[in-house]
This record gives sequence, C-alpha cells and structure tokens, in this order.
Amino acid sequence: MRISIYRYNPETGTDPYMQDYTIEPEPGDKKLLDVLMRLKTVDDSLSFRRSCREGVCGSDAMNINGRNGLACITALSALKEPVVLRPLPGFPVIRDLVVDMTQFFAHYHAIKPYLINDGVPPERERLQTPEQRERLDGLYECILCACCSAFCPSYWWNPDKFIGPAGLLQAYRFIVDSRDTATAERLAYLDDVYRLYRCRTIMNCTEVCPKGLSPSHAIERIRIALLRASS
Amino acid sequence: MKVFYGQRAWLLQRASALALLLILALGAALLLVGPPLTYERWHGLATSPHGAVIIVLFFAALSLHGWIGARDIVLDYVHSLPVRLSVLAIIAVILFAVVIRVALTMAAQLSLVS
Ligand code: SF4
Ligand code: SF4
Ligand code: FES
Repeated sequence: MRISIYRYNPETGTDPYMQDYTIEPEPGDKKLLDVLMRLKTVDDSLSFRRSCREGVCGSDAMNINGRNGLACITALSALKEPVVLRPLPGFPVIRDLVVDMTQFFAHYHAIKPYLINDGVPPERERLQTPEQRERLDGLYECILCACCSAFCPSYWWNPDKFIGPAGLLQAYRFIVDSRDTATAERLAYLDDVYRLYRCRTIMNCTEVCPKGLSPSHAIERIRIALLRASS
Repeated sequence: MKVFYGQRAWLLQRASALALLLILALGAALLLVGPPLTYERWHGLATSPHGAVIIVLFFAALSLHGWIGARDIVLDYVHSLPVRLSVLAIIAVILFAVVIRVALTMAAQLSLVS
C-alpha cells in the first residue's frame, strides 16, 4: 500500500514536504489508523494524534485523500492509492499531522458549552420530557474532532472571528436544551456578522462530519431561533 | 453601535432577493402576455407611475442585495483595514449612484410625460 504523508518538523527548519511510504497491511489491519500505527514502528519520527481508535475521542482527524476524516474509522478498502494524508486544512501545523487546536477550542469555550440555570436545583435532577430530550439528538454526539470546521471555507477565511460549524452546533445544543435558561444571552452573542453570519450554507460541514451530524442544520435552527427572538 | 449587522443584513438580503424575484417574475409575465413588446409599449410601461416606481424599487433592491453580498465577500477576503474601507466605500458609492441615477431618470421621464 502506498501512502504519501505531509511531513513538517519545526526543529529542522526545512519546508514541509510529502514523504512517500510503501507498507503492506497485515491481515488484521482494517482501518487507516492501523496502518499508521504500523508505519510508526518503522519510522518513529512520524507524528499524529490518536487515542480511542474507535471514533469517539476525535483526536485523529486529518485530511485523507482530500477529505477530512478520522483515520480510525476510515476503512482501508475504501481508499484510493496512493493515500495522501495531510493535516487538517486551515489549522496551524505543529508537526506532521498534528495541528494546533487552540483557536478551535477558544471558539468552543466562547459559546459557554455548559448548562446555565441559576434556578434552585431540584433535589434529584432537572427532568426533561422525552420530546425535550429528543431535541438534543444529533447535537450531543459531536466529538469535537474539527473535521467540519477544517472543511469550511468560511472558517478558513475567518478562523479568528467565525465560530465555525463545530462551535455553532455545540451552541445550538445548549440553546435548544429545555433546562438551560440563558437562551437569550446565547442568541445575543451569536447575532454577529462574524460569529454566526459568516456561514454561507456551503454545507461542507454536514458533508464531511464523520459522526453523521449536520452542523449546517443546527446553524439554520439558530438563525430561525434568532428570528423568533427578534420578532 | 455595530458597523456590520448580523441578523439584520441577513434578513435584508433575503427580503431584497424576494423583491427582485417578484419584480423579475412580473417582467417575465409582461413578456409573455399582452401585445408585442415594442419600444412604445416598453416606454409606456416604464413611464407610467406604477412602472416607474417598480423600476426604482427594483434597482434599490438590487443595490441593497449587491451591497450585502459584496460586503460579505470583502469581509471574507479583504483583511487589511485601509484596503477594506476603500473597497467598501467604492462599492457603496457606485451602488448608491446607480439608485440615484435611476430615480432621477424616472422622475425626469415622468415629468416629461405628465
Ligand atoms: S460536528 Fe462532526 S465533524 Fe464537527 S466536530 Fe463535531 S463530530 Fe467532528
Ligand atoms: S454550512 Fe456554514 S458552517 Fe457549514 S461548511 Fe458551510 S459555511 Fe461552513
Ligand atoms: S482515535 Fe479517537 S477518534 Fe480516532
């Protein structure tokens, strides 16, 4: 199997380059991450993040043959050779496939990703009806892998000001939560030409999300919620 | 005060698009029905008070829509503040001039006819 990987080491001072590898997957190797781990035993200078190896931690997002995805759930059989691996587009590269997620998480923190409710807490828990709970489906599953934001042209142009699909999907997760009482403040924060309205409904985010979520739909819901709030 | 609006611009963009579509549909309907569209008929339509107002409205909606679209493109791609301000100013002047020019022309036509 032929793999071409983006290499960059800030310590050597050389420009980034693509390095070609040829490696035979063993019978047990099913996913791209398996082969990367095998490559790492051959060339231990190769850097990438990974942890859960089953699509729940979101750490091994990378650009695989031009498309963002998680190496651990990308089947080898579906890949065209040579497999071209690059770091997430638009993110500053730290080394090889490892990118700097600082800004991405700063946006996440800015939307206050926690329940806000200053009411007296009930003795056991804040209950929801099954319908209220259902509204969180398709939102809470986000693993913050950044595949979507790193595939969003609007985020490439304004990564410092546009919250991006991942952050907006998370924002909507709390806007729609029946137990949260800060909806108005959340919406007011998002009514901004950069934070929310840089989204042009290009829908790359929805197209690429490895968890099958739809940030563009969440963004649409935020716009509608804003419309309701202002009318 | 916000210089660039979020929701308001987004709404105006949609409202102006709707206005443009409606007026274009009206124009298409005129093409399809009624007597052939000769110069005289066009002239009569354009210089009737309703026609003139609709034409001015069309260009106003066009300018507004164009302004928001152009503004979005500039916000995306032009990040240097002086360049951004200059480009926005040029676009604003051109779009504003178009509307004024159309309004003046229609007003002149109307006063000629009446
Ligand atoms: S929405 Fe999907 S692609 Fe985006 S961060 Fe969440 S899981 Fe990843
Ligand atoms: S729909 Fe919006 S957030 Fe998603 S990729 Fe497009 S511009 Fe980005
Ligand atoms: S290693 Fe955790 S998502 Fe791939």
